[in-house]
Amino acid sequence: MLKVLVENAQKDNLSFDADGLILPLKDYAVESIETFSLDEIKNIRDTYTKEIFIKINKNLMNEDIEKVKSILLELEKLNITGIMFYDLAILQLKKELNLKLDLVWNQTHMVNNYKTCDYYYDKGVKYAYLGKEITLEEIIEIIKKSKITSIVEVISRPSVGFSKRKLVTNYYKDLEKKATSSLLVKEKVTGEFYDVVEDSNGTCFYLDKIVNGTSIIEELFEKDCRYIVLKEYGIDSFNELVTDTIHYIQGECKDNSYLEKYKKLGDSTNFFFKKTIYKVK
Amino acid sequence: MKRIELLSPAGDLERLKVTLLYGADAVYIGGEKYSLRANANNFSIDEIREGCSFAHKLGKRVHLTLNIVFHNEDMDGVEEYIKEVVDAGIDAFIVSDPFIISHIKNNYPNVEVHLSTQNSTSNYEAIKFFESEGVDRVVLAREVSKKEMKEIIDKVNTDIEVFIHGAMCTCFSGRCALSNYVTNRDANRGGCAQVCRFSFENEGEKDFTFATKDLNMANYIKDLIEIGVTSLKVEGRMRSLYYLATVIGTYRSIIDDYYNNTLTSEKMKIYQKRLDRVANRETSTHFFLKEADETDQYYTGRQELSNQDYLGQVIEYNKKENLIKFYERNYFEVGDTVELFTPNQDHIEFVVEELFDEELNPVDVARHPDSIYYLRLKTNKEVVEYSMIKVARRKNENKSI
Repeated sequence: MLKVLVENAQKDNLSFDADGLILPLKDYAVESIETFSLDEIKNIRDTYTKEIFIKINKNLMNEDIEKVKSILLELEKLNITGIMFYDLAILQLKKELNLKLDLVWNQTHMVNNYKTCDYYYDKGVKYAYLGKEITLEEIIEIIKKSKITSIVEVISRPSVGFSKRKLVTNYYKDLEKKATSSLLVKEKVTGEFYDVVEDSNGTCFYLDKIVNGTSIIEELFEKDCRYIVLKEYGIDSFNELVTDTIHYIQGECKDNSYLEKYKKLGDSTNFFFKKTIYKVK
Repeated sequence: MKRIELLSPAGDLERLKVTLLYGADAVYIGGEKYSLRANANNFSIDEIREGCSFAHKLGKRVHLTLNIVFHNEDMDGVEEYIKEVVDAGIDAFIVSDPFIISHIKNNYPNVEVHLSTQNSTSNYEAIKFFESEGVDRVVLAREVSKKEMKEIIDKVNTDIEVFIHGAMCTCFSGRCALSNYVTNRDANRGGCAQVCRFSFENEGEKDFTFATKDLNMANYIKDLIEIGVTSLKVEGRMRSLYYLATVIGTYRSIIDDYYNNTLTSEKMKIYQKRLDRVANRETSTHFFLKEADETDQYYTGRQELSNQDYLGQVIEYNKKENLIKFYERNYFEVGDTVELFTPNQDHIEFVVEELFDEELNPVDVARHPDSIYYLRLKTNKEVVEYSMIKVARRKNENKSI
């Protein structure tokens, strides 16, 4: 059965109805609005019995390695479903420390084909969090052809770029004004807005528009996809959306009123039905 | 002690030849498929073969970028393509996808695999992973500091390559899809539209920009050699011949002077000035010595500048007549002081006294770009093909450029 994973944007209102939670680890997760300390994760684990994925997806620097080692050893005791990793150091540490933790290949824009998914599967990686810039057809092909278990982000305001630089601080320094932690900026040609959010790890760009993948859930369900992800950031009445989505899936995606109701999230389907180009000549 | 490698970009066969002649130890090129500069003049298989042959005769090497982030459809035909390229004589692949790495290492163990900076590898544990996969060299993330580089080199066995010059990404390489969202051009498959150089509206404030200055590590080549870096990489497969000849020639001089113990602060001033004159943006060292900050960025939109210093490229030199035949690129005239520089790193400054058109009629001015002109120059230096001419001082100006 297709499971619904949730990444919340407010730690005091977690979506406990979901089949699983994604908890970004404080100081070591990026492209996430809310993060959780190790102690907070332990507390959640004590009370929440369903699946928990921990996101440790920053580009690690040398100085992070020892701390990440000890965190992984702690997480191994917590019955965690998987560690979502970007940096290959995590895979190397799993090997060196002989950890039993399952891993999720989560290299934001790079998880785009079934052969590389299988490569990681053969290296002991159980899951792949697919890239958001591929089509539904490509997603289905990966689900069909790869041995790895795919996780597909279907409703979110996607992260579209991440820099180690403090871009908001730098901008305000140039303006000689007090910095905020985020900006809402408009791209001039398309008129699209982007959130620029800075934290201690750097600066993340988010599309200021909800990608509404409710219309692809049925096909993912039919093609035996195992996980979809809903992200709370920028979505009102989010827990209601989570509950409704679970009911929709439990009803084998036959209830069209769900699709009607969530047309209110907007009509952006991101790259699900649109291929990117790269030759412009 | 093994000498450090100077690695140059080459967008086409001519650039490959010029950069090798100007002192690169190796070049990196893109084929017609699977490279992150889909819109450059990339190399056909025949051109790869010719380029490899040219390089190998000089005892130099050719690396091929195969560093797109692959989609399902891109996997069709890639194995055949790799075989063709290996047969053409390529020495190393620059790859970001680990499936491709394993395919190459399993099938062509004598061909090197270099991990692309697209992976933004920034720590020693990640490198150990790729080491165990047979990767011969890792191109480090441009966010890695000098201290971190040294620690990495101390802890791994893999060769380490670092960027020393050229344009920078604002985001971690590979961790940016702004181009996909803003222009529908796939950043990680060679279509990057450089959205980080766009300006964005911020209501009620000055536009939000986040473009970076270029990288220039000329003053730190000594440091990079001494901490044990294997290869110094220059960015810019789409840059001009003049730019590449100047940048590669200058870094060649810096490296050679270092090993010969002849690198002085006076020489460094001259080298830095040469690099500054061909730069079209301001430069900095970004993350090498500190966290990059507001001084490493632009806040006023696009900042590309250009000048008309480059006057032409030498086609041949008639030593008997002391005549240089060249393609003219920018206006100059009799009385201007010009500098002829050669692949042998000779720099000859002289005042233009005699200038002729293609029919050898005397003229006062060279004013038709892409036309052939002749210059009279008496020198005992070797003036070979691909020598270049640039302005040193216009006749009405006192100050040298």
